[in-house]
Amino acid sequence: MTRKLRCRAIAIGVTVALALTGCGASDDTATSAGANGLEKTTIKVGHLPIPDPVGLYIAQTKGFFKEEGLTVEPEIITGGAAAIPQIENGSLDIAMTNYVSTFVAVEQGKKIKLIADMYQAAPNTFNIMVPKDSPIKTVADLKGKTVLVNNLNNIGQLAVTTQLKVAGLTAEDVKFVEKPFPDMGNAVNSGQADACWITEPFITANQSQLGFRKLADTMTGQMADFPIAGWMVSDEWAAKHPKTLAAFQRAIQKAQALASSDRKEIETQLPTYTAIKADVASVITLGVYPSELSANRLQKVADVMLEYGYLKNAIDVNSIIVTPPSQ
Amino acid sequence: MSKARLLRGALGVAGFLILGELVIRFGISEDLLFPAPSAILYEAVFQPADPDFLAGVGTTVTNWMVGLLVATAIAVPLGVLLGALPPVERVVRPLLEFLRPIPSVAIIPLAILLISVDEMMKISVIVYAAVWPILINTVYGMQDVDPLAKESLRSFGFGPLAVLTRVSLPSAAPFVMTGVRIAAGTALVLAVSAELMAGGADGIGVYVNVASSGNRVDLMMAATLWAGVLGLLVNMLLLTGERRLFRWHQVRTGASES
Repeated sequence: MTRKLRCRAIAIGVTVALALTGCGASDDTATSAGANGLEKTTIKVGHLPIPDPVGLYIAQTKGFFKEEGLTVEPEIITGGAAAIPQIENGSLDIAMTNYVSTFVAVEQGKKIKLIADMYQAAPNTFNIMVPKDSPIKTVADLKGKTVLVNNLNNIGQLAVTTQLKVAGLTAEDVKFVEKPFPDMGNAVNSGQADACWITEPFITANQSQLGFRKLADTMTGQMADFPIAGWMVSDEWAAKHPKTLAAFQRAIQKAQALASSDRKEIETQLPTYTAIKADVASVITLGVYPSELSANRLQKVADVMLEYGYLKNAIDVNSIIVTPPSQ
Repeated sequence: MSKARLLRGALGVAGFLILGELVIRFGISEDLLFPAPSAILYEAVFQPADPDFLAGVGTTVTNWMVGLLVATAIAVPLGVLLGALPPVERVVRPLLEFLRPIPSVAIIPLAILLISVDEMMKISVIVYAAVWPILINTVYGMQDVDPLAKESLRSFGFGPLAVLTRVSLPSAAPFVMTGVRIAAGTALVLAVSAELMAGGADGIGVYVNVASSGNRVDLMMAATLWAGVLGLLVNMLLLTGERRLFRWHQVRTGASES
């Protein structure tokens, strides 16, 4: 966020003039054609302040967007599902989304296109954790227990359910409760729940500060190498801005390649746009940053969702992705 | 405010902080993590040096003030109108009484759907929330005007407009000002809530979201503390303005120097 060039007038005695500029700020200027024939040169890109969208900041610092004639204004969103209205009404051009939310939204009739892959699970990136002295020793012990997930009926609950299945249980055997990641450790220790499904940097924090232990890595078996998040636009936006879209894809692709080849690039960026400090950034477990948007890989997400009833009908992922231009 | 009063207030705050520090350090179980007041204050001291945080405060304060100004510009004329024309007031009243208790925060998701410009969305919800206290106070202020004073002016041959500007408006002004002060608090709540729910490029709420995703509860609490300080400062500013401008009103109503 330090590179955010939007400098704002810090004025307590706001004048009416400021009121007018503040209220009337539309993006007419951003739609003028760019040097490369781009339909739009300034784009607002929404993301969560977590390690997944690091490619955006790598592309920003390395000048990959600039090379394409793009000016990217990053904005913080509160979740992939929450960002859908924002890409629909145009307050954001592009936003990150997790694939489970995306496919649920697509089934509900939302007109969304996936334009780039972002983050894929690796071992120990999403774990079920319990206090060190917990009587729960195996996933099977979760029967009748309460498990915290960050969102109900989303990737967390799906991931835990696939593990329950391996242990001979179903989702009905545990009680899922929604809780934000930062509150999970205290909630489990104060007896509100027995286990939590949690990701970084909270895995490391709960381990080192609360002594939690890993009960299971949920990104194994059916969920091994599970695609987690990507970049989305609305159908309408994709149709109106094909060149801008392709420019974004090229820049992000380069950044993803850098991220996956050099962890140092990620560690440099994390403290600039997340609240993760450099010393934490160097020890947390990170997932994979795929460069290519692969329908085959994403199809796995839709298929697993269908199997566990997260989708009622099969989705053909090919119909909702815009493949990047071949290089 | 007398010195003794100020001292007692400071003692209260210090006592609260010390109690909080002791409870968090020794009272609650070691299995629960929560930053102690000293840790939060430490972070709060350095926050103004963080350009991200400063930009956030700038955005939030700008939205807050613009929203409050727009709300005042809408609510005061409307309140004067409703106060001056009782039949209109009786027609509009049921609608106002229906809309007023709707928690303003609940309209944020709707605003996100409907309004595509981020600042506009945030300012709109602030305006919506801030209009009510100002409007209601203005209407009450208008109804509270001394009828004898109005009658005297009329009997001297002054027209309705003169009665309005010479008696009703000055008499209602202290009520309006109190409405604005109450609205300022509500407006800050909405300014930060809208950022928490909708995100954005920057803002105190956005900063809190970022801190939360990075497991920095200390930064979340420190930013929240600053939001409280801002609210306190603006309230004090408006209260001082109220006292200076309307000293006569306090004398007339015998309002205590609280």
